[in-house]
Amino acid sequence: MRHLKHRIFATLCLGAAWASSAGAQSAEAPDNLERLSNFKTTGVTEFTYVEQGGDYAEGIRQILANNITLPPGFHIELYAIVPDARSMAVGPQGIVTFVGTRKNKVWAVTDRNKDRVADEVKDFAPSLSFTIPNGPCFSDDGFLYIAEQNRVLLFPAAEFFYESPDVAAFNLIAEGDLIPEDEESYNHSARVCKVGPDDKVYISLGQPFNVHPAEKVELYNRVGIGGIIRINRDGSGREVYTYGVRNSVGHDFHPQTGELWFTDNQVDGMGDDIPPGELNRQTAAGQNFGFPWYGGGDTRTNEYMHETPPEGLVFPAVETVAHAADLGMMFYTGKMFPRQYQNAIFSAQHGSWNRTEPVGARVMVTFIDAEGNATMQPFAEGWLDENGEYLGRPMDVAQLRDGSILVSDDLAGAIYRIRYDG
Amino acid sequence: MTRPLVARRSQVRLFWLWGGLAAVVLAGSALAEGAPQGDAAAGRKVAGMCRTCHGLDGLARIPLAPHIGGEPAAYLAGQLRAFRDGTRHNEMMTIVARSLSDAQIADVAAWYAAHQVRALLPESSAHSEAAAPQACVACHGADGIAVLEDVPNLAGEPVPYIETQLKAYRAGRRTHEIMSAIAALLSDAEIRAAADWYSGIEIQIAPGE
Repeated sequence: MRHLKHRIFATLCLGAAWASSAGAQSAEAPDNLERLSNFKTTGVTEFTYVEQGGDYAEGIRQILANNITLPPGFHIELYAIVPDARSMAVGPQGIVTFVGTRKNKVWAVTDRNKDRVADEVKDFAPSLSFTIPNGPCFSDDGFLYIAEQNRVLLFPAAEFFYESPDVAAFNLIAEGDLIPEDEESYNHSARVCKVGPDDKVYISLGQPFNVHPAEKVELYNRVGIGGIIRINRDGSGREVYTYGVRNSVGHDFHPQTGELWFTDNQVDGMGDDIPPGELNRQTAAGQNFGFPWYGGGDTRTNEYMHETPPEGLVFPAVETVAHAADLGMMFYTGKMFPRQYQNAIFSAQHGSWNRTEPVGARVMVTFIDAEGNATMQPFAEGWLDENGEYLGRPMDVAQLRDGSILVSDDLAGAIYRIRYDG
Repeated sequence: MTRPLVARRSQVRLFWLWGGLAAVVLAGSALAEGAPQGDAAAGRKVAGMCRTCHGLDGLARIPLAPHIGGEPAAYLAGQLRAFRDGTRHNEMMTIVARSLSDAQIADVAAWYAAHQVRALLPESSAHSEAAAPQACVACHGADGIAVLEDVPNLAGEPVPYIETQLKAYRAGRRTHEIMSAIAALLSDAEIRAAADWYSGIEIQIAPGE
């Protein structure tokens, strides 16, 4: 005991002696975003490159070959090793795919020789400090947007500038303006974005609780937390487009109707089989999808059991398996896959985190008939083995220009490519 | 230029904190001696509820979850009790912890604490001794391995995890007698610097004896 006390006090004194210099130094570090906004260099010259070959890649190829099943004529192959790979944005020129993470990196994935396997994976804009840069998205004219925990940056001509460590970078929504700082959380803070047919940027804002308390409802509705916001590409005209969402981490616009479809993760702690997950269809601005009164589908939350829900709530287009965690999604518009897949939705089920029998960890496909009825079925599966252990956890789906699709996996730290040659 | 003034105030406040910390440490170690000893083998079964996020060995599988392999048992058990009684809130952990008995908490804490964690400080200028976050090292170690029993390891935790926890202390959403006071003095840039420091340390976790 005496010995321990001495060690503690010695360490404390050491700590106190260091107490002034280093902190002040870092507080006065130059703001690289400001430099890049003025087209100045930052002095950062080094990229971090991710090794693409080796035993690790071979292990993943074995899983894909031995465990993953697809409909006849489809094949899945390793496209890139990308640590913590989350939401993806394929450049409109097809030059590079940007991949977000829930840490502090955005990865730029390049297939230089066009053999449909990436040759180079390096960090994007290494001079910038990102915080949960989960959600990259592109406009058709080549502006890259990256939605973080509490900021959205924009990068003009990112497909060309990314080859240099210094890229042109600007605030779309400055740090601290996406949500009030008091609402910053580590939970449900993985944002996604897409540019809509109206040329506005749509950004999901998960609410940070399992079920948020009543005193938060007014603030959250005002800011768009527990919803999806949209904003003009010059940063003006921010408005809440979608209400009553718990934590959506995937959305896209129907290629023909322009309607917004989005996945939503539902309430935990009510049992293994309720409430269902959701795939939603929004037909007008301002619609409310029922959270926190409903915890998924028509299951009422315990916390709001005795409250009267607002009028006019919209219920899901598809109720999905409870706790499977439906995340990233996209409409398929490519020419490679059979005709039935035109305008179908590909989406990723990340897999449950505390269900007694795990479910999910697969890629789903949703067909929408002429009346707008949607039916979802498994497309690629096998990442959950017979012991209930995850061999991978699909997170997002994106389409390459050749009509094949990419699937990100944040457990394996990889991106797969699915092609069809039937 | 208010910067020097702030720095001086920090020093004075930190002086008081170290004193307070010493008192807490002494009280904490007395408490720890009386706490029930967990059974690591039984804790392995409980860890089935943790593995999807924290890994069976305590090396986190998702960035939202901290690494807990080799974490002090007293810290792990304390946090699980705090999640269970609502003094600490997390969207996932609140749900998991509410079903745990005292014995399960002691067991699962023993399981993860029995693992050996090793931290490897990178040899770069960003990790020179002078750059270590001075407000943290007394308890969390310069290498991010906790020096005290009721303190978490920070080595290898993702930047957003450390940032968000420090900001939660600063804003009062998470409270701790030492951490709340320390975080109150930190600027955003200082928080980020501390997060960068610990995040850049590689860890290895091996099974316990």
